[in-house]
Amino acid sequence: MNSRIRRFGIVLIVLYLAVFAQLNWLQVFKAKAYTKNPYNNRETVRDFSQPRGKILTADNVVVAESIPTNDKLKFQRSYPFGPLYAHTAGYFSLTYGTDGVEGAFNDLLAGRTDAQQFANPLNVFNSNDRTADVTMTIRSDVQLAAQQALGDREGTVVAIDPRTGAVLAMYSNISYDPTLLASHDLPAVRKTRTFLNLLPAKPLLAKAFRERYFPGSTFKVITAAAGLTGGKVTVLAPIYPQAESYTPPLTTTPLKNFSGQTCGGALFDILAQSCNSAFAQMGVEIGPEQMAATASAFGFNEVIPFDLPGGARSVFPTADQFVQDTPKLAQSAIGQNDVQATPLQMALVAAAIANDGSMMAPYLVEKVVGRNGQILRGANVREWRRAVDANVARTLRQAMIGVVINGSATRLAIEGVEVGGKTGTAELGTNPPSAHAWTIGFAGPAGNPRVAVAVIVTAQPGAAEQTGGKVAAPIAQAVIAAVLATPDPLAKP
Amino acid sequence: MPIKQLKPRRSELSLIIVAVVIVGAAYVLASLGRTASIPANVIPFTAIVLALLVAGHIGIRILAPRADPVLFVLAAFLNGIGYVFIARLNRRQAAAQSTWTMVGIAAMILTLLLIRRVRDLERYQWTLALVGVGALMLPLAPVIGRTVNGSRLWVRLGGLSFQPGEFSKVCFAVFFAGYMINKRELLASATWRLGPLRLPDPRHLGPVVLAWGGSIIVMTGEKDLGSSLMLFTLFLVMLWLATERPMYLVSGFTLFAAAAYVAWRQFAHVQRRVTIWLHPWNDPTGASLQIVQASFAFAWGGIAGVGPGRGDPGRIPEASTDFIFAAIGEELGLVGATAILAAYVLMIGVGLRIAIRSERQFDKLLAAGLTTILGVQSFVIIGGVVRLVPLTGLTLPFLSFGGSSLIANYIVLALLLRISDEQAQREFRQLNAAAPA
Repeated sequence: MNSRIRRFGIVLIVLYLAVFAQLNWLQVFKAKAYTKNPYNNRETVRDFSQPRGKILTADNVVVAESIPTNDKLKFQRSYPFGPLYAHTAGYFSLTYGTDGVEGAFNDLLAGRTDAQQFANPLNVFNSNDRTADVTMTIRSDVQLAAQQALGDREGTVVAIDPRTGAVLAMYSNISYDPTLLASHDLPAVRKTRTFLNLLPAKPLLAKAFRERYFPGSTFKVITAAAGLTGGKVTVLAPIYPQAESYTPPLTTTPLKNFSGQTCGGALFDILAQSCNSAFAQMGVEIGPEQMAATASAFGFNEVIPFDLPGGARSVFPTADQFVQDTPKLAQSAIGQNDVQATPLQMALVAAAIANDGSMMAPYLVEKVVGRNGQILRGANVREWRRAVDANVARTLRQAMIGVVINGSATRLAIEGVEVGGKTGTAELGTNPPSAHAWTIGFAGPAGNPRVAVAVIVTAQPGAAEQTGGKVAAPIAQAVIAAVLATPDPLAKP
Repeated sequence: MPIKQLKPRRSELSLIIVAVVIVGAAYVLASLGRTASIPANVIPFTAIVLALLVAGHIGIRILAPRADPVLFVLAAFLNGIGYVFIARLNRRQAAAQSTWTMVGIAAMILTLLLIRRVRDLERYQWTLALVGVGALMLPLAPVIGRTVNGSRLWVRLGGLSFQPGEFSKVCFAVFFAGYMINKRELLASATWRLGPLRLPDPRHLGPVVLAWGGSIIVMTGEKDLGSSLMLFTLFLVMLWLATERPMYLVSGFTLFAAAAYVAWRQFAHVQRRVTIWLHPWNDPTGASLQIVQASFAFAWGGIAGVGPGRGDPGRIPEASTDFIFAAIGEELGLVGATAILAAYVLMIGVGLRIAIRSERQFDKLLAAGLTTILGVQSFVIIGGVVRLVPLTGLTLPFLSFGGSSLIANYIVLALLLRISDEQAQREFRQLNAAAPA
């Protein structure tokens, strides 16, 4: 009987080895596939059932927080201001992941970084709240002013402190309510998302840094900068001829001025009048190399460093693309043809000019503070690039101040404040006529601007008559006024 | 001068300390994982576990001093880990389980006390056969029988519910051992032809087939596939061991395959089980919810597990009973689940070693049968939970929540200890007799 018992023992051991093999299959080989299985929501539930830090504005207004609930997920992410901060704070969705600060600072908000996990050796044994709060540079009053000034027009507002690169406002209409995406009612979330994706206005897109537009006449500031930098242009010379149009070499097609007006003169005059013929000629005279170099110096053709990922690069053709194509160069000099810029890029153009030519890297997050008060991450204040030298910047500033005093941007003026600006009307077509209306600008105490803005009201059917000066400038003015309404935090006492 | 004795009880005591430390640590970790606090009752808890095991140890020391030292410790370890997981899943069940553990250890001591010689059992084989059949049929009785989860396995008497089927396995093991050893010559000699099969005289085979057939019919009536498979395997293995005739295994499993096929064709509940096993992803939120959630739990646990108290095994229906192995796989990972498997394999090894060592044929067959109960039942339920075989509702010996199962398994343990002790005593006497005075 003993040999049979031994044999039986071997059979049992083989059976248990089969169980062991199957365990390896389940727990090692298939582990990842099962964890990612659509019927398995352990992973998402883990992320959602944990506390999560708040997102605040620079003035400590809570724009995203987790509220304890009684359902399985334990917490509901809530966005008290709905669409207002959707493109900056972002969303935190069970089905669609994250965007904005919610995504880029996910680990810090959830308390998952090593610094938070192992700040205290006792942490291994407790489940104390290790989350962190993210404070943005956005000011709630400026953000609200941007939203109200835009009203129901489609467009984007970006306001920056030119001295640091801190983003004071970043708002696009139309936006969306992230609360709808963070809901625990998953079928409803799916419907909302499908609906938002179907809208032609692309409400989910953070257009301030992820969408490009023709910059139109606002680009003339860069053409002027190229002229001043290369020495081909000074305040006094050349004096461009009074003309209705300019015909570049190698073509017979004239480049006409806006609504057929006649204009010309020295730099300040042509900028104030936004004179197409003069700037087209200036671009051709400056030449492809200097034009491309200055556009690059302002950050064109590069992704702008930012706290949020996915930024689009603004576009200016390279020098060799202008070879044998002076008409293209002439058009590019007035912000047409292949030139495209994000609203953030144009705000940085104004900011660099306001900051003596130094372009600070824009940033959205002021600080990340852990539960015990320690700063886990501070603001990333640094110069991104030198756009132009200080003398050129000062000249451009004077020129832009002139545009506000007696040019196309008079609606940007604010009593008792030095305001400079440049408008743009990027025509997209004539039948039906439509155009993007732009304004960029800066403002602050004389010689020391503390805000730079870019406003674009995008082309809409039936809004043919919108020009930068009429439509965008008042919005920019309202945002600037909101910034200046509070004392300068950087002012020395 | 008597020969220097081996001291199995001393090894047992030191192993008990190790088991208590492991169980106590697991209990603290599970509480830390769940509530981030050390349980207030950790000292009384550890003291009670220690007291229970020491009580069992003293019982064995007095009643079966030379029994194998590992068996009780393995059972206590599994029982303790099981308790930690039950406590982590369901507080109310934990209170009941602690009572059942006490009753189980008491039942082990009582069995050792009542059955002083294995020979006593041999005399009562027919009585036990009747008790076994009666216990199996009891749930079918009106008034006291209860149907739970589609199977009529429960009896409710007074305020107490229990599954008599758990005990009938033990009775049948004793009966099979006694009957097959008595008739082994007759069973092994093929005198009767049925087509290609050569069978023993039906007169000798009759009672065995009757007991088996009766139990199968009762099981089908109670819709308990697990116990049915269990009893049938026990019967076949013991018959094969007793007669050393592979013919019984071959014809038996052929019979089983035919029966399984018929059952699959005839019974919707059998069909459902097979479909769930082969195609769990057809209905992952309905019929296959349990097995799919168990697979997710194993996957979530990975190699090292998510930590005691830190998983979410509450998603698996019946996590504290049939599916407790999935809860362990999730929180202790492949490492912990393998440790549990190792404990069962060790238990089987010890049981079969007792069988091999025994000189008396009845003891040998009984020990092998009792080990079959533990080994096969554990395999069938673990294999079902990891989706290696179709799932059948069985409790995992010593680990699952459930009083009847715990008590029955401690009785199995007591019988194995008795057989082991008797053989060791016999060897000891022989050695002493041989030694010069």
